[in-house]
Amino acid sequence: MREVKIAVKSASVAIEIEDLKVNYGAQRVLHGVDLDVVPGEFIAILGSSGCGKTTLLRTIAGFQKASGGAIRLFGKDVVDTPPEKRGIAMMFQSYALWPHMTVLGNVGYGLRLRGMSKADVRARVETVLRMLNLTGLEDRKVTNLSGGQRQRVALGRALAIEPDLLLLDEPLSNLDAKVRIQVRAEIKSLQSRLGFTAIQVTHDREEAMTMADRIVVMDQGRIAQVGSPKEVYDNPVSPFVASFMGADNTIDLDVRQGASGLEVRASGQDAPTLWSGRAPMGSVTAYFRDDVATIQDLGAKSEDAIVLPGTITQRTYPGGHYRYLVATGDRHFTVTDDRYLDLGNPVGLRLPLESLHLFPSAQ
Amino acid sequence: MSRPSLLGFLLIAPALLMIGVLFLYPLGFSLASAVTAGGQLSLTHFEKAFELYSTDILFTIFVVIVSTILTAIFSIMIAGVLTLSETPWLVAGLRALYRWPLFIPFIVAAQCMRTFLAKNGLMNNTLVATGVLEPLQATSFLDWRGIIITFVWKQVPFVTLMLAGAMASIDRATIEAGRNLGASRPRILCELVLPQVAQTLLVGLVLSFVTMLSVLSVPMMVAGSQPTMLTVDMAFRINSYGDYATANALGVISYALSAVAAWIYLRHNVKREVQA
Repeated sequence: MREVKIAVKSASVAIEIEDLKVNYGAQRVLHGVDLDVVPGEFIAILGSSGCGKTTLLRTIAGFQKASGGAIRLFGKDVVDTPPEKRGIAMMFQSYALWPHMTVLGNVGYGLRLRGMSKADVRARVETVLRMLNLTGLEDRKVTNLSGGQRQRVALGRALAIEPDLLLLDEPLSNLDAKVRIQVRAEIKSLQSRLGFTAIQVTHDREEAMTMADRIVVMDQGRIAQVGSPKEVYDNPVSPFVASFMGADNTIDLDVRQGASGLEVRASGQDAPTLWSGRAPMGSVTAYFRDDVATIQDLGAKSEDAIVLPGTITQRTYPGGHYRYLVATGDRHFTVTDDRYLDLGNPVGLRLPLESLHLFPSAQ
Repeated sequence: MSRPSLLGFLLIAPALLMIGVLFLYPLGFSLASAVTAGGQLSLTHFEKAFELYSTDILFTIFVVIVSTILTAIFSIMIAGVLTLSETPWLVAGLRALYRWPLFIPFIVAAQCMRTFLAKNGLMNNTLVATGVLEPLQATSFLDWRGIIITFVWKQVPFVTLMLAGAMASIDRATIEAGRNLGASRPRILCELVLPQVAQTLLVGLVLSFVTMLSVLSVPMMVAGSQPTMLTVDMAFRINSYGDYATANALGVISYALSAVAAWIYLRHNVKREVQA
């Protein structure tokens, strides 16, 4: 973590957040957040509702007062600067379009505030609308637009002033699934084309994974992990991050120092399996995703996996492959397999070691 | 339902009867007596009303329009501060104070203004005591200015109450979006907030306009001399001469002025609906 920070600092930093604390009344909602964002980077702040991710975004924008710490934009501390002087563009979850104005009025408002002439505003708005595939909608009332169009107008309004920094508060949460995927790609390509720095708040893991250069996972007002999507997905640093990134199945394991290295053993397993990497000792909990488990014959040996004896209790065919519910002890796991297997069959539930995230069991 | 139910009619009958007896009948009667003389259709009462009171008609229009405009300005300012200010003590103080005049009757307000605005009233005495005014410069405000001040003082809380409520219910993010793009507080108020609550402001102002047009106590007590407002003239025609016909003609003129306000409101409403 330390090295990353130094490396980032040597490049110029767009946003530097240091030990940021925010209170709502007597309740603290951000407990000292540190984050550096380099210019041109796309950051996704990911977390469940109430984790403080929107508060963090609103504090950067200036709508929420910080009770401690610093926010520096390109080196300048803005903690005491009101939002209208920060020069950060923001896109709101509700879009917050002005219902009494046309598309031109909405998108061009920031330009008008900057004293641009009417003709220049119109020309610039036209460019922005072309970029967003909204050509010709200048004089349409925003109340007569579809959800997807409104979303783009809101994005256009934020981008029209050519900001260095764009904050997006759950920009896609009000769109239906199909439009969402399309707009996701559009925002991403606009960002890489225009080169602004973006911070997006989302509770959608896939959205964060596909759009962001780096993901910030937040939990209860603290940053749980910062890293590239792959890093956060493959190497979660805590049980919270692991289960938030989809590894929400758990089994209890026992880790011991054996003759030839670390040995892990699940209850109900005959012989321990060798563990090649680092692992906490003693009783641990392994977190894994649904899709890493496979079914194999009970007798077959497996070098780099834990095999738990189980029984098939349910079989469904969602298309393409079969989905089985396998019972091991008192636990049930969902496993997919191409083969047709009979109910009640004793099978081995194979969990590859490399896909397990081990953390000491909570006492 | 194809046939109107008798029970339904019976249920609303008392209300209809009240409206008929207490409002429609007197209205029709005064309208009729304003346009008839000796059983014949005639405009003589209107001629008389205009001959005697044309100055007062203009005075009334002037006072009510100026009061409405000032009410609008002050209400917008107060509601704007309540909605946009980030100074907690200012908002709390204003919120606690602004509603008080709502609970004071017009006649009490007029009485207070008499002692406040008189030549040797509290206002002038304070100004003289603080050295702002020379004692000789002190003049009485108990004329059209007194009426306007009383009307505005009395109506601002009412319009502010409506306006602040409407402003509180618009999407906060539309205000934040303006600040985010760099708009100052006054610009946000005028360009982003006010257009969203224009409907409410208009309703409040039309209601204020009609109220001020019908107040008798304030012009009577604050400005006793000529010119005065139509309500005073109507009371005078009836009390001193028993001249109901001219009073009714003046009443019809008041109706007409209210009708103009109502027409402006309705026209605006229709326009909005066509746009939507």
